[in-house]
Amino acid sequence: MLETLRPLWPLLRRYRWSYLVGLLCIIISIWLKLRIPRYFWSTLDELRELELSETTAELSQYSDLILHASLLILVSAAVIAPTRTVSRLLILGTSRKISRDLLAQVFAHMLKLAPSFYGRNPAGQLMSRCINDREYVRSLGGAVFMYLAETITLYAITIPLMLAIDFQLALIAIIPYPAFLYLANRLAGKIQTTARAAQNALGEISEKVDESLSGQLVIKTLVLESQDLERFTRRCEEFRRLNLQVTRLRALLFSSMMGLAGLSLLLVMGIGGERVAAGQMSFGEFGVMITYLAWLAAPTRILGFIISSARRGTAAYGRVREILDSEIELRQELTSPLEVPRMEHGAIRIEDLSIVYPPLSQQPHLSGSLDDRHVGSEADVKRKVLDSIDLEIPAGTTLGIVGHTGSGKTTLARVLARQLAVAPGKVFIDGHDITSFPLNELRAETGYVPQEAFLFNESLTENVAIGAEHSTEEQVLKALNNAQLGKDLDQLPDGLDTLIGERGVNLSGGQRQRTALARVLLLTPRLLILDDTLSAVDTHTADAILDHLRPFAAQRTTVLVAHRLSSLSHADQIIVLEEGRIVERGTHEELLSLGGQYRSTWDLQEQSESAAAIAEKLRAELEQEAQQ
Amino acid sequence: MSEHREGVIYDARLIRRLWAFVAPYQLWLWLSLALLLLTSAFGLARPWLLKLAIDGYIGPNQMSGFGWLLGGVALAIIGELICRALQTYTLELAGQNALIELRKAVFKHLQGLSASFFDRTPIGRLIGRVTTDIESLHEMFASGVVTILGDLINLAGILVILFWMNWKLTMVTLVVVPVLLSITLWIRIRVREAYSSMVTKRSVLNAYIHEQSTGMPLVQAFRREKRTRDRFDEINDELCDSQLESVTWESVLSAVTDLLSSITIGLILWYGGGLALEGLGIDPGEDHFSTGVTLGTLVAFLQYMDNFFGPLNDLSLKYTVMQNAMTASDRIFKLMDTEEHIPETKNPQAPDQTRGVISFKNVSFGYGDDLPVIRNLSFDVAAGERVAFVGATGAGKTTILKLLTRLYDIQEGSIELDGIDVRQYALDDLRRRVGIVPQDVFLFAGDILDNIRLGHPQISVESAARAADELHLDRVTRRMPGGYHEPVRERGANLSSGERQLIAIARVLAVAPKVLALDEATSNVDSEMEHLLQGAVTRVMENRTSLIIAHRLSTIRDVDRILVMHKGRLVEEGSHEELLARKGTYWKLHRLQYSDAAPTPTAETE
Repeated sequence: MLETLRPLWPLLRRYRWSYLVGLLCIIISIWLKLRIPRYFWSTLDELRELELSETTAELSQYSDLILHASLLILVSAAVIAPTRTVSRLLILGTSRKISRDLLAQVFAHMLKLAPSFYGRNPAGQLMSRCINDREYVRSLGGAVFMYLAETITLYAITIPLMLAIDFQLALIAIIPYPAFLYLANRLAGKIQTTARAAQNALGEISEKVDESLSGQLVIKTLVLESQDLERFTRRCEEFRRLNLQVTRLRALLFSSMMGLAGLSLLLVMGIGGERVAAGQMSFGEFGVMITYLAWLAAPTRILGFIISSARRGTAAYGRVREILDSEIELRQELTSPLEVPRMEHGAIRIEDLSIVYPPLSQQPHLSGSLDDRHVGSEADVKRKVLDSIDLEIPAGTTLGIVGHTGSGKTTLARVLARQLAVAPGKVFIDGHDITSFPLNELRAETGYVPQEAFLFNESLTENVAIGAEHSTEEQVLKALNNAQLGKDLDQLPDGLDTLIGERGVNLSGGQRQRTALARVLLLTPRLLILDDTLSAVDTHTADAILDHLRPFAAQRTTVLVAHRLSSLSHADQIIVLEEGRIVERGTHEELLSLGGQYRSTWDLQEQSESAAAIAEKLRAELEQEAQQ
Repeated sequence: MSEHREGVIYDARLIRRLWAFVAPYQLWLWLSLALLLLTSAFGLARPWLLKLAIDGYIGPNQMSGFGWLLGGVALAIIGELICRALQTYTLELAGQNALIELRKAVFKHLQGLSASFFDRTPIGRLIGRVTTDIESLHEMFASGVVTILGDLINLAGILVILFWMNWKLTMVTLVVVPVLLSITLWIRIRVREAYSSMVTKRSVLNAYIHEQSTGMPLVQAFRREKRTRDRFDEINDELCDSQLESVTWESVLSAVTDLLSSITIGLILWYGGGLALEGLGIDPGEDHFSTGVTLGTLVAFLQYMDNFFGPLNDLSLKYTVMQNAMTASDRIFKLMDTEEHIPETKNPQAPDQTRGVISFKNVSFGYGDDLPVIRNLSFDVAAGERVAFVGATGAGKTTILKLLTRLYDIQEGSIELDGIDVRQYALDDLRRRVGIVPQDVFLFAGDILDNIRLGHPQISVESAARAADELHLDRVTRRMPGGYHEPVRERGANLSSGERQLIAIARVLAVAPKVLALDEATSNVDSEMEHLLQGAVTRVMENRTSLIIAHRLSTIRDVDRILVMHKGRLVEEGSHEELLARKGTYWKLHRLQYSDAAPTPTAETE
């Protein structure tokens, strides 16, 4: 456990004074608190002595004694209250700060992790680690630390005090406690495992509801309601089973704690009672013993909580740590610190590039994010996505990439956009190894539009200007117009200021893609990479976009991935990928005359122009007619 | 004030509705309550036994029979721990069973809500109803109603015993209670405010992490790291600040409780000590009555007061739990009150055979109130006929398919299947008769074959695989290492839209309905996929009445009749040749599209 927590130390060190002062306050307040029963009981003893001594005491003697003790108690209480507040404030407050620092550290690291990391680990998983697991880590540095410190202090002071009162009796009274600790530790371990399983089961319920609601149209139209309810119920029942098991274990832990504390009390009452009766022990001492014992038993009730929280916190820290320990796959491999390469022309050369993914189960995964069902299954094999690619893209030219789904087009585009790590000595830009460039430098010169257009929950302007914050409205509008989104602006409630993204106006697939394209058109990169950016845009609009793109692309090295071959006819060079290999290469005309895969695809596409386009033309026609 | 009362009445109504789910398990609940009373009784007996021990045996040094008393203490301890363990378990049993019923009821209700409801409700919020909100109710079961009741009974029991032992001393001791209660309440309000601001900030942070980690490749590609990090730190700091505020109030509260309980000890000593002097036989003065406060009484008093302050302090905390639970159940029942169902007929008709005759008569429909999507649409489809719908986006083609399967109900006119109004069928029966292939195919977690079977009991693995083979789906799965058992990742992100549609066609083929409603995929697919889809569509149309929203010319040529839609109206109909011969809009369209190309290329190229 301590081994896992060691990396937490640098975060803690900053606040070590807060912890030390907090600890001191705990010691003071507990020490004072333990005085109170002694004042009380010793006064009762003195009263009794006064009464038993045959000399007639003045009434004022009694009242003085009582008043003195009462005042002492009140003063102690008055000191305890602020000390205790300070200790809580310092320890609990500091734990919040540490948890904040931890999260800031994690997020800073996440900003450096490669896109492939996010491909393997869904956002929900990362979110749960950043939020839920962090809470447990926080309680480790806060509540757990505080209760532990309080309990240890309480035991450390109380036990000697009890031993001083009556060594033998105190020893007998604390005999049950080691047994209790052992038992609590074992049970807490089980509780923790089961509670974690229950937590996972709840996660599965939530996943199931998500799936059922997202797929409700399918469920309705295929009449799958009862099967779906069945699947949902099964998950709920598993959750119930685990919860009941946790309750059983908790009840067991709690009652065994009560039993042991009771045993202790019974021993003190029996033996202590005899001693008092025999005059070997004063009433006051007996009373103090009983009170102390009650106090010793109190933390044993939360000891179960402490142990299980400590374990859960440690496990949670391990899970957070996994993110921090994830390798930053994309980094600059420094060859010589003196010579930092810069992209000046944008000439690309690829030499014998292969990319092989290890089997799913051997890829670095955050624990719990890999479906066990798939480990060792027939799907769990290594996959070669790019196979001995040799390619030269002269500066300022356009490369077109075509091929079936899964042929490696996107992978190649991602390698060039430096989204995917490659070994040194494979990809060169302007003669320098791509891995030797500072990432920032490379990205400043690369305009990359991925297949899936992701929108942030921000205004349209902010979304478009993400790479160039200080753009004027005019520039943004121009980029939007070039991406053929300008004409859609009046459909948006607030024009450029319309909030888009998940929580804003829902843009169509084509509009999203055009927004993503506009982002790049606002920049002046050397290298432009468009990964099937127009797949959801209708043919007519796509052609208009390509027309506007041409002068922009002419000044830059451009890589175009496309399904529609007609959009590539102007490319200087086209490659056809098949299972990660380049099977055909040449210009549009060359490839057509080659009569291979490119040719047959071209023929098919020419023939089966989609009826959507027909409909589009029809609508225009009809509208024209209506106007006449 | 009246607002508060309304709130109470409202809460009572919520609890009554919750009760409906608890009622079947109320036996456990009552048992738990009974055990709770026993637990309290055993707990209260202990200090009393201590008092007896001191006053009856230890004090006067008469130790005969002391063993019996110790036995009594042991009994009280064992009784308490057994009762408490059983009480906790029975309560959880009642709670878990009631909640599973509630969860199922909510889920069933969600299943029954019509498509229009899901059009405007974010799914994330609905998931919260079934998980987070029901978990707040769980908390209420674990440390809410019954526990509060138990605490109250315990407090009442302590008070009765204290008054019975010595009412004067009790009065003095209780002086601090109103102070404690009012301070606690005041601080709790502050804590709750800080807490709710914390919850808001936490969900902002949540959303931000979710958003940014989803868009991380973009953040990096556009070098936004610094800005993203600054914004993140800002939210993170705000969250921390609001947490610190609630920590402050909570620390003060626990200190106050401690302070007051210490003051009580002082008071017991000061006043009780004085009274005890009388009990010890000392006459403190002539104004005092004999009160009979013994040492044992004092000891018992101290212990009872220890038991008194704990629950009192917790009470306000538990009140918060209750409030959360009420908010949660309010949200749950509001959802359950949403009656946006497609109404089921009372006397459903169910002809033995589906022939597949479809007729739309003067149908009008709109999703909202203002925008009609279908306007006065009428057409008939004969049994086994293949009909294609052609028209621009927004012409209402997809809507026609949704109306036929009653995902939405029409506002005017009628739709008939085999001469019976679709509203006269039972919903599930109607949908079994009509198979739908949507454009955006939804894939469930599992592998490809699972997605064809979809847990349908009547489809075996073999028949699913047969349907897949028939569509040459194996040509697609061949390049996947897992074949038909290739897992579907992230709702099918590892499959292209054409592949997903192929799976959806296989789904329908496996169920073999008499009527097919198919919405062809629009996105560009590669040529091999184009060919496969073409074959699949032709195959699935065989021997069934087919309504197809066509995007491929090959499909259009394959059908018996074409319906041309524009803005919710039918503008032309006929076969491909008829429409061309009529030289109307379709002909114009065809001429526009193919003026350069050969007029009738052969359908098959392979």
